[in-house]
Amino acid sequence: MAEVFNCPSSEISDTISFGDFQAWDSLSHMDLLMTLEDRCGLELDADTISELTSLDAILKTLQEMNHE
Amino acid sequence: MSNQTLSLTLDPVVPDFLIDQVQSKMAYLDESVQRAVVCPDGSCMTLYLVQELDLAAQKTLEEKIHRVLTAMVSGALKPRIKILEDKLDRKLPFNKDPMDTLLETGGVYKEGKGMYVLGPLVASLVEYFNRECVDLAGSFEARPYRFPVLISPELLERVDYFRSFPHSLNFVRHLREDLDKIETFAEHAHCENGCLVAPEETQSDIEAMLSPAVCFHLYQALSGTTLDEGVKATAVGHCFRYESSNLTSLTRLWDFTMYEVIFVGEKDFVLDNREEGRKRAQKMYERWGLAYRVESANDPFFVGEFKKQAAFQSAFQLKYEVRAALPFLNDTLAVASYNYHQDFFGRKMEITAPDGKPAHTGCVAFGLERLAFAFLAQYGFERKTWPADVRRALKGI
Repeated sequence: MAEVFNCPSSEISDTISFGDFQAWDSLSHMDLLMTLEDRCGLELDADTISELTSLDAILKTLQEMNHE
Repeated sequence: MSNQTLSLTLDPVVPDFLIDQVQSKMAYLDESVQRAVVCPDGSCMTLYLVQELDLAAQKTLEEKIHRVLTAMVSGALKPRIKILEDKLDRKLPFNKDPMDTLLETGGVYKEGKGMYVLGPLVASLVEYFNRECVDLAGSFEARPYRFPVLISPELLERVDYFRSFPHSLNFVRHLREDLDKIETFAEHAHCENGCLVAPEETQSDIEAMLSPAVCFHLYQALSGTTLDEGVKATAVGHCFRYESSNLTSLTRLWDFTMYEVIFVGEKDFVLDNREEGRKRAQKMYERWGLAYRVESANDPFFVGEFKKQAAFQSAFQLKYEVRAALPFLNDTLAVASYNYHQDFFGRKMEITAPDGKPAHTGCVAFGLERLAFAFLAQYGFERKTWPADVRRALKGI
């Protein structure tokens, strides 16, 4: 996340979410999800784009993917 | 008009949901391209060219096409189309292209590419739709604004317009404040093929542009402020969007009139008012007898930004278009839109909502010339077949 948002990792808190963090805007949101698609195999669709709007939601989805 | 064509096989194949978008972007490939037609299955395309191309020019063109396809098509997500209202099955009395009659009878006069003089009938319809929109804005107690047709490059830069919609920009220049240069201009300026030819050094830097949207000016006016309460504003203004060879008839003008009701404030304030705007507009369409559908849509972002931004808009259902039936084409035309920008403009323009967070913004917007065109495409010129409200409003015209 720090890499996509171009900020120090210390700024990435556990509760970070789209809309509440200055650098997490519409464009960086898509950059973040496309990075997750490339590196973690996340399947991008309208639901993932609209639902993965917090670090918590992203981690849960990635954990569920690992269990499958 | 040349009849040179170039037929190409497309790789990747263009999916049906992107054919219109890709086709319209081809107008910006190269000045040799007049028009592009992608075949219905998306596997091929015919380019209509101004002149025959040599092999090197053709190769360059093919490389550009590949760039567009790679950027727009590869990995593109199919949009989630949501239909909120569907009145397309309304029975309509007319099914011809009204432009034919309008041009033949002097109802409109073509002044240049994407530029038309509107005669009394079309002008009166535009005025009627404008009055209806004024009433709609009044029902929200929206406060009236008037905005300039010029806009500063800094404002467009601040809202990322250069990156998102570079293809539609229009520039304003004046002569340099220098007697020698003004006299040089006066001596040499002339027109060739419809374009001004004048010494470049006589002309200023670009310190103003033609405004592509109405609501940007409100966000500029509110920039740096903290709102005590949500803002409801309304304005009608000229919007300028260059659309190259896509500028045909009243459906796509270089300079068009947009009526907007704009909401700025907290998220729920904006979303609730946008939804209320949609519901109240339904009653107007009923009075106008409009055959239309309201469906989710995306803005015409340029090639590099298209895939990401269109997917984002679609996933969050940020934009809905009112698409009016054009029976002569068996197609629809966007005549209005209901837009929600989340806190994009609030952040960019540093507008703070009453809750202390960046303000959310949204608007309901109506394209007045397109409404007039769609009405004539649906009801034609025989007044007795028009809906009573419209007939009454235009009595004596």
